[in-house]
Amino acid sequence: MEYILEGVEGAFKLIFSFDREIYSIVLLSIYVSFASTIISAFIGVPLGLLTGIKDFRGKTTLSKIYYTAMGLPPVVVGLVTVLIISRSGPLGSVGLIYTPTAMIIAQSLLVTPIITGIVFTNSKDTGREIIEICKTLGANRKHTFIKLIKELKPLILVATVTGFGRAISEVGAVMIVGGNIKGHTRVMTTFIAMSNSMGNYDTSIAMGIILLTISFISNSFLYNRTMGDNNGYKIRKY
Amino acid sequence: MGIKLENIKKIYNGKTVLNVKNLTIKENIITGILGPNGSGKTTMMKIIADLLEPESGRIIYNGQYFNKIKDNLTYVSHNSYLFNDTVYENIAAPLKFREKENSYIEKRVKELIKMFKIDYLKDKNALNLSGGEKQKVSLARALSFNPEILIIDEPTANIDPNFIKLIESTLKSINEKYKTTILIVTHNTAQSFRLCDEIVFMKDGCVIEHKNKEYFKSPEKEFIKEFVRLN
Repeated sequence: MEYILEGVEGAFKLIFSFDREIYSIVLLSIYVSFASTIISAFIGVPLGLLTGIKDFRGKTTLSKIYYTAMGLPPVVVGLVTVLIISRSGPLGSVGLIYTPTAMIIAQSLLVTPIITGIVFTNSKDTGREIIEICKTLGANRKHTFIKLIKELKPLILVATVTGFGRAISEVGAVMIVGGNIKGHTRVMTTFIAMSNSMGNYDTSIAMGIILLTISFISNSFLYNRTMGDNNGYKIRKY
Repeated sequence: MGIKLENIKKIYNGKTVLNVKNLTIKENIITGILGPNGSGKTTMMKIIADLLEPESGRIIYNGQYFNKIKDNLTYVSHNSYLFNDTVYENIAAPLKFREKENSYIEKRVKELIKMFKIDYLKDKNALNLSGGEKQKVSLARALSFNPEILIIDEPTANIDPNFIKLIESTLKSINEKYKTTILIVTHNTAQSFRLCDEIVFMKDGCVIEHKNKEYFKSPEKEFIKEFVRLN
């Protein structure tokens, strides 16, 4: 028990000492997760919307593929990414292995199905209803698209923030493709895993607190944008 | 002249749910679509509103293919989707889609708000309204652009008796003032007698009678007689 309390005390000291290494790790984590979430949202939101709203042959099979991809094991994604970008892989000449770019690619592969799946599932009925009502009210394609995005904004935010949460808390894939190189590819999760194995509980706890704080901030943002009543908006029950 | 349905057929999971050989709904009057559950009333209305594609057949409006007047037709169901916005913005939406001048939009929305007595709701988010209030807002929104054809599915399904009268008198006055062709799907025989000029009676996906409302007060067919008595 004592070592936990000592760990917590050490963690707060470390956080408020504004240690350069700690904060560079935090910044890199945010950068990698943010970039991968943005890429995933750009792919996943339109893909989820389009496949969710339209009726086509094979839609049931596609939904099964989405749900399977939502639970992809990070180490498998890391492994596949390494096989592709390693020196002997098809993209080996680009020299991406053990770089933040490789970490962004791996995280994008993990997060894209999550965003796509959430948007797909929730836009199936609501999205179609919006399109139908826009049609009966005489909206053209442009107006319908704008209404669709506006109405589904809370859903898109939920999907994106969930994706960001997955990215920032992920360890397996970034460890494999990034290699946890100090000052280069070390992020919060790989740092916690390493510190823990070395018995440095204070630094692990410090990083854990920062990770939780970031998660809390992103979820608070989501709450304010969807459930908050500052502007009279309310989330529709999907 | 009017809305002419020719050989309209709709099939769901191998079962024919609508089979209308020939039906002409007169323009400028109120026509009630009556019939038991599952008789194909809503399917027929959704096909007319271009929300469902029939397997076969065609719809002609005053000699023209129907898609030419799609902009002047609207469909309101008893649980129409309302936008996550204020009541004012919901009613203004069809006018904004048509890129009308702001001053006209303001004037028209105010008129409708007054007509439906929903002034106290105008700044409220539409998602926070009761079922009846939502019904009134969706009807006001549908009327904002003065449609040539108004299709309403169960117009008073969620509305308390005080407001049923208001909705019915509004529909009557719209029909008289703008000559709007109104099609009303209802289970309520008394309401169809109060509102409609003609009634189309449906059963098992087919039109079994289409006559002036007076006929339905003492119908010949036993099934219709029983339906009228019970509803």
